[in-house]
Amino acid sequence: MEEIILKARNLKFSYEGSRQLALNDFSLDIRRGTKVAFVGSNGSGKSTFFLCCNGIHRPGSGTLYYDGKPVDYSRKGLLDLRKKVGIVFQDPDNQLFSASVYQEISFGLLNLGVTKTAAKEAVERIMEDMDIGSYREKPVHALSGGQKKLVSIADVLVMEPEIVIMDEPYSFLDPKHTRLVNQAVDNMSTKGITVIMATHDVDYALSWADEVVVLHEGRVLGQGPPREIFSDPALLHTANLTRPAVMELYDSLCQKGILKQGLLAPKNMEELFLELTKNR
Amino acid sequence: MITIDRFSYHSGLRYVNTGEKFAFSVITLVLCVGSRSVYLAVFVLLAMGILTIKKGKIPLGGYLRLLSVPVAFLGMNSLVLGTSIRQTPLEVFSVRFGTWYLTAGRETICYGIQIFVTAMAAVSCLYFLSCNTTMTDIFVLLRRWKCPVLIVELMLLIYRFIFVLLDRGQAVAAAQKSRLGNRDYRTGIHSFGQLISCLFISSVKRSEALFDAMESRCYDGEIRVLEEEYPPKRKEIFGILAFELWACFLIWIGR
Repeated sequence: MEEIILKARNLKFSYEGSRQLALNDFSLDIRRGTKVAFVGSNGSGKSTFFLCCNGIHRPGSGTLYYDGKPVDYSRKGLLDLRKKVGIVFQDPDNQLFSASVYQEISFGLLNLGVTKTAAKEAVERIMEDMDIGSYREKPVHALSGGQKKLVSIADVLVMEPEIVIMDEPYSFLDPKHTRLVNQAVDNMSTKGITVIMATHDVDYALSWADEVVVLHEGRVLGQGPPREIFSDPALLHTANLTRPAVMELYDSLCQKGILKQGLLAPKNMEELFLELTKNR
Repeated sequence: MITIDRFSYHSGLRYVNTGEKFAFSVITLVLCVGSRSVYLAVFVLLAMGILTIKKGKIPLGGYLRLLSVPVAFLGMNSLVLGTSIRQTPLEVFSVRFGTWYLTAGRETICYGIQIFVTAMAAVSCLYFLSCNTTMTDIFVLLRRWKCPVLIVELMLLIYRFIFVLLDRGQAVAAAQKSRLGNRDYRTGIHSFGQLISCLFISSVKRSEALFDAMESRCYDGEIRVLEEEYPPKRKEIFGILAFELWACFLIWIGR
């Protein structure tokens, strides 16, 4: 069994001036090196939990554990936590502030106390890895939405975190930049980084994630392998989620006798196509 | 603002040392304003224009459009300075209003022209700097010159937020227009008020979100970023010196 990197136990959190709990008895475990998709309707607590993971929000009660130890909210403790847990915010305009891409990427690194020479090397490396060197001197406001998203990912990756949290990274992206962000996400997983992603795209969650966490009204309704989660109609109904299209299609093909019932449901269209053409 | 920002990122003089560009434009500006020499002002106006268009590769139309803004403003000012209201008319022209005259003499007109040309030359110096130097480089220069960190950081964030709020403002304005938000004067004023309040709320929310994002990357109250440098070149320094000496010569012959 893989080691638990992040553990939440009975977290409760409410925003100032609001009686409603944004996180209500929120408990879950996240294993090191896994890809975890958070699904749930707007206001279900995804972003709030993410901000707790980075120490931006401090839960009113309950405990958050990082690497088996409760999160230390002292200045030093938060710095240590933020070194290890990076967040890519949903709207890059809320994250990017520097006058050039080069400066923007160096910001987090220099805050970690890295020397300027080491920071320069790291910034150059990440720009090359993510193929964003061509706009290194552009101001962030002159970038397109997709370019801003890539820079916001580079911002976090350059700090070499153990966990990268991505809050709906595919919102407002065109197909080209969706592909580029996909590549970046795959590279993170290859490097062993734990990737947590909030998404409304159940098809993507099914094909990409090792685990899916379903949230509803600040609680964890379910957590488990994607196939298991998306095969539970009651859970999906409560969380106002639809079933992935590939699972619907697979069921329909099984009912019509085209595919054999009882096989492991495919995770994406490619797997379904392979299943269909296997014996032909 | 957006036009100047765009020009500066595409300027052919972008990678010239910022200190050189700053010294060149500020020394020239001080000489123009200090001497008020018409010869120097005309020379500077032409030289800055040629440098910005030829070397900086800024489109002529765009540069002239930029200049048209101060031309209108300074032209009106110079008109006021070049005329006077007196009880006795001057030699060039006079318009009578009862016992008073709106009038101009050769001396007042020359004074108006002198002020206009000097001010335009000063503006062209500043346009040279702003059209060929990115804000990034100006911030780097200010840091290097030990300008208080707080001021530089505030400038940086204001610079960023101008564009964020401009985007937001344009989006809200378009949404208002699409629903006839400006169909008459009254509605227009009402929509404008709503736009301002929306921008205010948006700026507060965005600044909170930005602060969270900065904190998530270990922000501790000081913005530390890497700076790129373009070293000064001897040829350019000699060029600037020659230009300023020529400027001094023009002041001398104009006396």
